Amino acid sequence: MTEHTAIIHDIGYRHYEGPRLGRGSAARALTLHSLRGVFGLGRTTRAKIIPFLLVAIMVLPAVVSIAVMALAKQPGIPYYSYAVAMQAVLAIFLASQAPYLVAPDLRYRVLPLYLSRPVTVLDYVGAKLVAMTTALFLLLAVPLTVMYVGELLVDLPGPPRTHDYIASVVSTLLIALLLASIGLALASFTPRRGLGVASVIAFYLFTSAVSGVFYAVLVSTGREAAAGWTMLISPFFLVDSVQVALFGTPPANSGGYPAGPWPALILLAVIALALTALISRYRKAASS
Amino acid sequence: MNTVVADITYRAMLGRKRILLLVLLPLALVAVAGLLRLIGGPSEGTAVMLMKSFAVGTILPLLGLVAGTGVIAPEIEDGTIMHLLSKPISRPVITFTKFVVAASLMAVFAALPTFLAAYVLIQTESGIAFGFALGALLAGIAYAAVFLLLGVLTRHAVTIGVIYALIWEGLVGGYVPGARTFSIQQWAQSIADQVSTSAFFKADVSIGFAIPAIVVVTVAALLFAGQRLRSLSLTGEE
Repeated sequence: MTEHTAIIHDIGYRHYEGPRLGRGSAARALTLHSLRGVFGLGRTTRAKIIPFLLVAIMVLPAVVSIAVMALAKQPGIPYYSYAVAMQAVLAIFLASQAPYLVAPDLRYRVLPLYLSRPVTVLDYVGAKLVAMTTALFLLLAVPLTVMYVGELLVDLPGPPRTHDYIASVVSTLLIALLLASIGLALASFTPRRGLGVASVIAFYLFTSAVSGVFYAVLVSTGREAAAGWTMLISPFFLVDSVQVALFGTPPANSGGYPAGPWPALILLAVIALALTALISRYRKAASS
Repeated sequence: MNTVVADITYRAMLGRKRILLLVLLPLALVAVAGLLRLIGGPSEGTAVMLMKSFAVGTILPLLGLVAGTGVIAPEIEDGTIMHLLSKPISRPVITFTKFVVAASLMAVFAALPTFLAAYVLIQTESGIAFGFALGALLAGIAYAAVFLLLGVLTRHAVTIGVIYALIWEGLVGGYVPGARTFSIQQWAQSIADQVSTSAFFKADVSIGFAIPAIVVVTVAALLFAGQRLRSLSLTGEE
């Protein structure tokens, strides 16, 4: 037998002895990291191009509107229909960024690594949801705010449209929450980013095309009441109908929406459904 | 054309979740046509609107995206394209084979349901069903080639394709008439207009431009994709 000469060297490894910040801090860090990632911050230059291009497209009409207000002394683009007018840009932003938030972690199966820390499944899903909602909120609220500040500075004759501005910011929050929950739920069902982008954009295009086609056909056959309901299929018009009910702003479509609490209830039901799907998807992913 | 590559690509396209989108979208198109027939009765104007804004305006670009990028982009993304590229098969043959797969999927999942949807609404009246099916077929082939090229060029192929279809063909094409000349959707409508005799429908782009444009775009995209695949770099983007 040879003599055992193996020894354990002290390579100077030290334990972490600083403060442990716990679950809340971990969830907040994950939220901030996800929010930065949505805009491509902390990622490669190529990852920044698309989000910032879309941000620029979103702000452009607001800047044009300020110029119109300053030069022509006329009220610019209305606040309450900004989201509906820019819906394609919002949908592309959601479709391109929601899969980034959920797909890589599912694809490389790193979820157990997150969950081995104090973060729970709900914290993880919540962080992703808050990040996407905040990103969409900023994307829409920044141009609105820029336009409002511009309007105050230009000082048009007549009172500023403060009520419209507040109404549109509140419904921006609703639209951000609705889009984020639907987008993340759809994107989380495939670990492939490309397919996730395609599914989210398919959802948007499909719902808006269906609502548009049925609206046109029902109006042309003289059934305006039913036509109002079909508009609610599109997520953007659904939130607009809630805004009309809450704040009395003019509807972004020509025909108006069904009255009463139904649009708001449908909105809540859709958000609840999407969140349930998202959470159950992650419970399954966490247990496998 | 390499049958083994085609076989593998078909299996990848039809065996995963991708098939769900490929099947659900055309099914939804036919279902919407059926519902419209129930509520509005068969009408030529409705059929033309459904075909223009839904079949050619929504479903066709979406399926083009799923099929065109789906045949090659996932393999590039996870690096398994290396196994294919290291075989003694010329790269243009690989792209051509993948294009044939995508184009055949477009014929089955885009052109055929377009015909069915129009047929459900108004049968073969005024040649609308035939016209739009032919338009969807040819434009679907062009979409397949262009999105396949995008899949080779960039890892954000689907996003860029969506931006093209929504912003350029949808938003810009809606306001700027000149932009419609360079829109694959509009070429599909030109072909449909040529075949159909419907009074409800007038295409913006002449057929004399649309057909050569489809051929040129398809061939150029395929040649360029084949060239790009010869010097493909697999270094990660993120």
